[in-house]
Amino acid sequence: MRPVEQPTDATEVELRVNGDAVRRTVPARLLLADLLRDGLDLTGTHLGCEHGICGACTVLLDGAPVRSCLTLAVQADGAEVTTVEGITPAEGLSPMQQAFKDHHGLQCGFCTPGFLTTLESADPADYPDDESLRELLSGNLCRCTGYEHIVAAVRAAWNRD
Amino acid sequence: MEHSLIDPSLGEAWRPRVIGVRSTRREDDAILRGEGQYVADVRLPRMVEACFVRSQLAHARLLGVPLEEARAADGVVAAYAADDLDGVAAVPDLHKGGRPVATYPLARDRVRYVGAPIAVVVAADRYAAEDAAELVVPDLEPLPVVAGMDEALAPGAELLYPDWPDNMLIDAPASNPDVAEAFAGLRSVGGSYTIQRVGGVPMETRGVVADYRNGRLTVWTSTQYPHIVRTMLHYVLGLPEGQIRVIAPDVGGGFGTKAQIYVEEYIIASLALRLRRPVRWIEDRYEHLVTAAQARDVRFQLEAAVRDDGSIQALRGQILHDLGSGEMYPPGFNPSFVAVGMLTGAYRIPHQQIGVRCVVTNKTPAGAYRGFGMPECTFALERLIDKIGGELGIDPLDVRRRMLLDPGEMPYVTASGARLDSGSHREAFERAVSEGERLTERARARWADNPDVRIGMGVATYTEGTAANYFFTSGHWTNQDSCDVRFDPDGGVTVGVGVSTTGQGLHTMVATVAAEALGVPIDNVRVVMGDTDTSPHGLGGFASRSTVVAAGAIHKAAGEVREKGARIAAHLLEAAPEDLELVEGGFHVRGTPHRGVSWGDVARAALVRTVDLPPDVEPGLEAKAVFVPPGVAHAVGEDGRLNACPTYANATHVAVVKVDVRTGIVAVVDYVAVHDCGRVINPLIVAGQVHGGVAQGIGGALYEDFGYDDLAQPQSTSFMAYLIPTASEIPPIHAEEMESPAPEIPFGVKGVGEGGIIGPPAAIAGAVEAALAEFDPPELTATPITPQDVHAIVTAAGRAS
Repeated sequence: MRPVEQPTDATEVELRVNGDAVRRTVPARLLLADLLRDGLDLTGTHLGCEHGICGACTVLLDGAPVRSCLTLAVQADGAEVTTVEGITPAEGLSPMQQAFKDHHGLQCGFCTPGFLTTLESADPADYPDDESLRELLSGNLCRCTGYEHIVAAVRAAWNRD
Repeated sequence: MEHSLIDPSLGEAWRPRVIGVRSTRREDDAILRGEGQYVADVRLPRMVEACFVRSQLAHARLLGVPLEEARAADGVVAAYAADDLDGVAAVPDLHKGGRPVATYPLARDRVRYVGAPIAVVVAADRYAAEDAAELVVPDLEPLPVVAGMDEALAPGAELLYPDWPDNMLIDAPASNPDVAEAFAGLRSVGGSYTIQRVGGVPMETRGVVADYRNGRLTVWTSTQYPHIVRTMLHYVLGLPEGQIRVIAPDVGGGFGTKAQIYVEEYIIASLALRLRRPVRWIEDRYEHLVTAAQARDVRFQLEAAVRDDGSIQALRGQILHDLGSGEMYPPGFNPSFVAVGMLTGAYRIPHQQIGVRCVVTNKTPAGAYRGFGMPECTFALERLIDKIGGELGIDPLDVRRRMLLDPGEMPYVTASGARLDSGSHREAFERAVSEGERLTERARARWADNPDVRIGMGVATYTEGTAANYFFTSGHWTNQDSCDVRFDPDGGVTVGVGVSTTGQGLHTMVATVAAEALGVPIDNVRVVMGDTDTSPHGLGGFASRSTVVAAGAIHKAAGEVREKGARIAAHLLEAAPEDLELVEGGFHVRGTPHRGVSWGDVARAALVRTVDLPPDVEPGLEAKAVFVPPGVAHAVGEDGRLNACPTYANATHVAVVKVDVRTGIVAVVDYVAVHDCGRVINPLIVAGQVHGGVAQGIGGALYEDFGYDDLAQPQSTSFMAYLIPTASEIPPIHAEEMESPAPEIPFGVKGVGEGGIIGPPAAIAGAVEAALAEFDPPELTATPITPQDVHAIVTAAGRAS
């Protein structure tokens, strides 16, 4: 990646997205979310606020959750990006996805991919009780469920009573 | 497989087969896999992006819009102001209740709120469109700002609409001699109750994609009512409705915010017509927080004529409602009339007289939000009942018990004319109170060692009008909705409905009801909704109506199909139709289960082997039905009363709060909702509706606020300021369902969508007041209740002692 002068200047990025190599020439200011959604047609990543609060756009950058609305595509140069599509099996649902379905942990579903990616990177041992689990989930806003069924889904997926 | 009988008349013998089962949702797999299709996911060749230039002043004359620089900018396709958009008419003021506002989609000569659209720039991508939009500096001449209701009503106030004599969009005084008589003879207790400006704020903002090709306009829009959008596009753009297709794709939450038709929908559609290219506009969150419909912002003056036992003989008062600029369709005043209609809730209160005054100010236009007047009236009445208890020295719970309706009183016509068809008002109350008392004791024990913590419990009881005839003020004089049911030759069924989803689970609901009514497996039912080309005409999803009206229509259409199916089956089985019974998957001869035919056999005969049909039966196996909810009036009667809903849900909520008297922070630690929405189609989905509504209600009670400064500049323009509660603010919600079937609605169902949000403001205010009892708090009459409010009460008590 060569240095750029202006936010609109084009630059080349190379990254892996859900395991696939991606090489693109992008404006330096292009958001990672827009690269994923408009450049790669990975529309499972949703933009809910574009200022880093709601968490709907959460993706994993080298395994760590980031807001793709606050991350430039160039910041992902050389990195591995994982989106909701990347944590979804070819057929059916992952255990966490299945738990969300079984416990009605989603309604409109707009926020759901962000919850799933956040949870994908979380170690259950770090969140031993409901209070800490809710703290983990508090980085993602949901306007439909009141979180009750999301908490129930995660508890089930993590094999808690 | 269970082969229970389904009585076609759904009479006494009917036993639900799939209704009432905790089915998972058919919507979920695609969404969970990241394969949802929201409006921002629509991709079309040659698509361009639009960005709006919006007013940064709350009130100004618009003198000019220089667009040359924007038009010359990189990547720009076009830029328009109102004068450039000929062929775009003013939005018709279809309602007859208030003064006309004649909103043009782009501002013509005046802007009345921060965020009002002035120009639109279209460019190759959103980055270029936003860059170019920044180059447009409208020539605005500031006008005096009307920043709130009191300023709007002050003598000599600046007029938002210069041809009006004042700033009242609607002024509806009330009078009732029975009320005057009650107040002449009884003690009166009153107060003024304020609910702040909040809104639905769905996680998906608004958005529109429009495309015009082959003589047809297709509009994808994140809306709650595609058919009404189509009709309004016809009015404003002049195209015949047959040339317009409106699609509501997956919608990322609505909550009433998307039960408005917005000026951006007309503008983006007109750009597609003009440019002959697909045009996309996806609202950003800042735009959403300053332009999407906001709600509440109501001051309710309420006074009760009280008997010695605390019970209420009559209520009188006035609702003062800040509509913002008023430039909204359907108009924002409707919730105040619902507040009048639903005021007495679950109580036996014989008389009322409530005036409504709706005022325009230089705030964002008001519109719909879940609850729609019911949180407002419930807050006022429940707070007033707590005050009555305090003034008379009677336990407020006992005041409520003296007025709660009993099942034997149903149907009960309230003071406003609402005809409560059924309910579990008293039992829901007692169950919720008892569970709330248990949880309150548990909380007291848990924090007994913390000297800064006080625990309190508050109660709110309400009724929720469902499938309301809200459209009488919108100029669409109907409450109908429809469905069509048609079989495929293999026995699969397609059910098209006019209701429209915003993620509540309506596809699952429709499939469940159709499977129940037809005796087919749920997985054999395909559901079509949200597309004016493929769904039958209907009004969409709002007013907790979808389940009531869709189930009503499906019941009718399925009945016709069943009857025809039985005739065909009888012919195939060489039996008499009356000797058949409908079982899971088909028909058999009563008492002879091995003599049966499947729906597939019947459908094949009806569609592709019509030679097998009886001679007097026409080919085809389908039916369309329209359902009009019964008992709903479209106008106020001579007695001043109106029943606006065919059926009413009820609930009691109890909030248990923990108040930290050192920091002033209020935390809801447990929340009880004992709720009755008639027969439950899917307990999982009903619980989800209650939870979500409660969470939004908690947000409104404690955190959310669309504040404005003295110049009507919006203060909540990001999620740093508009505080949506997170999982850490929302406590465990203990939801319990009771089931009082609606006696006059097929399957006994009632609506559920709005219930959860109605109780929290009243319950939480009562709980905080109770927690602070030792500090002799003033009556908490306004939301949100902030840490500053609590801190002020505690400090004032400290000073006093």
